[in-house]
Amino acid sequence: MWLPLLGLLLGISLGLLSDIQIPQVYNNYLSIAILAAFDTLFGGIRAYLQQVYDDWIFVSGFFFNILLAAALAFIGVHLGVDLYLAAIFAFGVRLFQNIAVIRRILLAKWTGRNKNSSTNV
Amino acid sequence: MSKNQKAASKKRGKQLLFSVVFLVLGFILAFSYRTVGSSHKELDEVQSELFLQEEQYREELIEQQERNKELTEELLEKQKEVRELEEDFSSREKNHAVLVEKARDLRLLLGVIPAKGTGIKVTLEDADYDPSTQNPNDYIVHESHVLRVINELKIAGAQGIAINGQRVNSNSYIKCTGPVIMIDGRTFPAPFTIEAIGDPKVLSPALHLKGGVVDGLLRDNIVVTTEEAKEIQLSAIRDKA
Repeated sequence: MWLPLLGLLLGISLGLLSDIQIPQVYNNYLSIAILAAFDTLFGGIRAYLQQVYDDWIFVSGFFFNILLAAALAFIGVHLGVDLYLAAIFAFGVRLFQNIAVIRRILLAKWTGRNKNSSTNV
Repeated sequence: MSKNQKAASKKRGKQLLFSVVFLVLGFILAFSYRTVGSSHKELDEVQSELFLQEEQYREELIEQQERNKELTEELLEKQKEVRELEEDFSSREKNHAVLVEKARDLRLLLGVIPAKGTGIKVTLEDADYDPSTQNPNDYIVHESHVLRVINELKIAGAQGIAINGQRVNSNSYIKCTGPVIMIDGRTFPAPFTIEAIGDPKVLSPALHLKGGVVDGLLRDNIVVTTEEAKEIQLSAIRDKA
């Protein structure tokens, strides 16, 4: 359980301490990568809660989404079409949907447990 | 047992996978936070720097313009000064010309330079011997006669006077030594030719005034002939012998 947390901390510290500078143009890539990562994360959480979770789908989705988003943004920049907007839109919508599903599941669980406990009492 | 081990290794692998995922996530988050934040800051800094630079340039421009204005004013002032100096110079030049003229006149009067110009020639001759008179002084030319003529000529504005070719100036002296007169140490016999440079139309009437010099001389039995000359040449004054 501690290993992922350690990884997160390591990643954050690495990101803060690394001295790599990227040009302003590529800020779009970063934001899309973040969005993709969040999307996949929440997607994974939802899948777990819906009991359809699979490790490999989650991990492959995580990296693949990030790379895809970055590639899309890259192509968009070079074609002069704001393709990264498409990625942002898709990921954003999915992010909200995932979070909504998670919320509902959690709410359902909570109310169900309450009911159970009340019936117990 | 083996099942348990399998499950444990699977769990570990899962955790490793998760840790890698989270590592990437954390890295991306932190990196983006850092770069975006810093870039914003940089942008601000660049903008402020540009703004400051612009401000500075503007101030410099204003300064330059003020300096230009000052210099223009200075230039105008200098030009005015130059003009004044030029005017002064020209007026001085005029003055100079006047002074040169004056100096020439004075030199003419002093007789230190040869003179040339229109003038008048007066000849004083002793009268013919008259046996009825006893005193020869009554009919010979005296230095006083010469002096009278010279004074009259000077008063009338003669610029240069010579007697028998001897230039006379204000320092000259005329002395009577018997039948001859001595001018500045040189003796000259009669007849005396007095040459004067000046306006003949002024000099001649001055001599011929009624009761004037010529009348006086005639009364003293002196033969006076005056003649206006177009060109008279006077030599410079000679050193005293």
